[in-house]
Amino acid sequence: MTASADALDVAAAVRRGDVRASARLISRIEAGDESIVPVLQSLYLAGGNTPVIGITGPPGAGKSTLVDQLVSRYRAKSLTVAVLAIDPASPFSGGAILGDRVRMVRHNTDSGVFIRSMSSRGVLGGLARAAGDALIVLGAMGKDLILVETVGVGQNEIDIMRHAGSVVILQTPGTGDAVQAVKAGILEIGDVFVVNKSDTPGADRTVAALREAIEFRYDPHDANAWLPSVLKTQATDASGVEELVQTIERHAAHLASHPQAQRQRLLAQARVRITELVSEGLRRRYLGSHAMNAPFAALLDDLVDRRTDPYAAAGRLLGAVG
Amino acid sequence: MSAGVTIRCLLGMLGTDVHSKGIRTLAQLLRDRGVEVIYLGEHNTADGMVSALIAEDADVIGLSFSTSTYVHYTRDLIERMKAAGVDDVPVMLGGLIHREDEAELRSIGVKGIFGPGSTTEQIVRFLEEVTGKRLSAGRDGFG
Repeated sequence: MTASADALDVAAAVRRGDVRASARLISRIEAGDESIVPVLQSLYLAGGNTPVIGITGPPGAGKSTLVDQLVSRYRAKSLTVAVLAIDPASPFSGGAILGDRVRMVRHNTDSGVFIRSMSSRGVLGGLARAAGDALIVLGAMGKDLILVETVGVGQNEIDIMRHAGSVVILQTPGTGDAVQAVKAGILEIGDVFVVNKSDTPGADRTVAALREAIEFRYDPHDANAWLPSVLKTQATDASGVEELVQTIERHAAHLASHPQAQRQRLLAQARVRITELVSEGLRRRYLGSHAMNAPFAALLDDLVDRRTDPYAAAGRLLGAVG
Repeated sequence: MSAGVTIRCLLGMLGTDVHSKGIRTLAQLLRDRGVEVIYLGEHNTADGMVSALIAEDADVIGLSFSTSTYVHYTRDLIERMKAAGVDDVPVMLGGLIHREDEAELRSIGVKGIFGPGSTTEQIVRFLEEVTGKRLSAGRDGFG
């Protein structure tokens, strides 16, 4: 009873934009505190109105600097912004240096900006879930838009980017030839491609290679298709940033005017979100320290002694889940 | 979800001090001990640091100084932490801190002082003590 009253209080505080309540709620998400589920449930049901822009790319591409510039642009337009900046944790110690914020210090004292750093620590496969939950909180805070930044393009990052309405992929010149650009992984998820550090030699070649690869994938006969833009920016002096803002707006407008494409995207997000929760539930059920029970222990014995095989054993567990 | 528990430590420098080698070194040492370091770098204002502290919900705040103005800056920061209602977050200082200033710093509210010769072990023990959390002792690799 008190738990649900507490949940209502927390949810109300987050929806008022209370920074401390929101910050603590995100900490509880990171800690895997299951008692906050009712808060997230109520925030989710009331949410979904804040656009989420995802920014990803290799380390050192200039993501945080670009995010800093984007925040300044949006603030100049009197829009309030929430930022979720995700940095990798050490696979050895679980510790991390969350250094994205250091590029954004000028926004620290701006009450129209909320920045939260998150590490990919030990939440095996659960990072996207934790990030998705954090995005629910940021979305409920009443900011006008959300920026989410992640390193690299691994499966985790792709799953996080699926929470975004528009995905910006950052590249830098000199990171490879046309063959690198057509390698699978990044082209599929990007709505806007940015070649940052455009003052370095080779920028135009990188743009051309990306454009070629993107146009190859584009189907002009598909009425819902969006042709991803390729832009050049120099995040250190903000050149190209206004064009990026406009391109992101154009992508949002494209989705708004193509409800079918928008719906497909939201359904894909919903699918990923639910799969994350199910897989985390399974992980918790079978890998947690308190997860052992007699039938499960017997199944493990059978597996080790080769009385059954991993496929049959997993099939039995999944069958039990239904 | 034992992996969920960690210590979040805000590290940064105030004022015009640009000697960041020490704090960058500490950031790496703490990361290797399982701490989540939120690195703010140089040239922070006290207000900016307090805002970051609240948004990041950090457990501890660590400042590094290599200039003699640390008493002034630290007092200013702790006063603003008080005004914001977050002075329960322990403050630690590192760098070129003179022994004769330690009493004054402690009277201002500084909880940990790690001048020249301090070891990572001492800092880690301090962090565990003031947060009541243990650093990655029981990791079983199963997240």
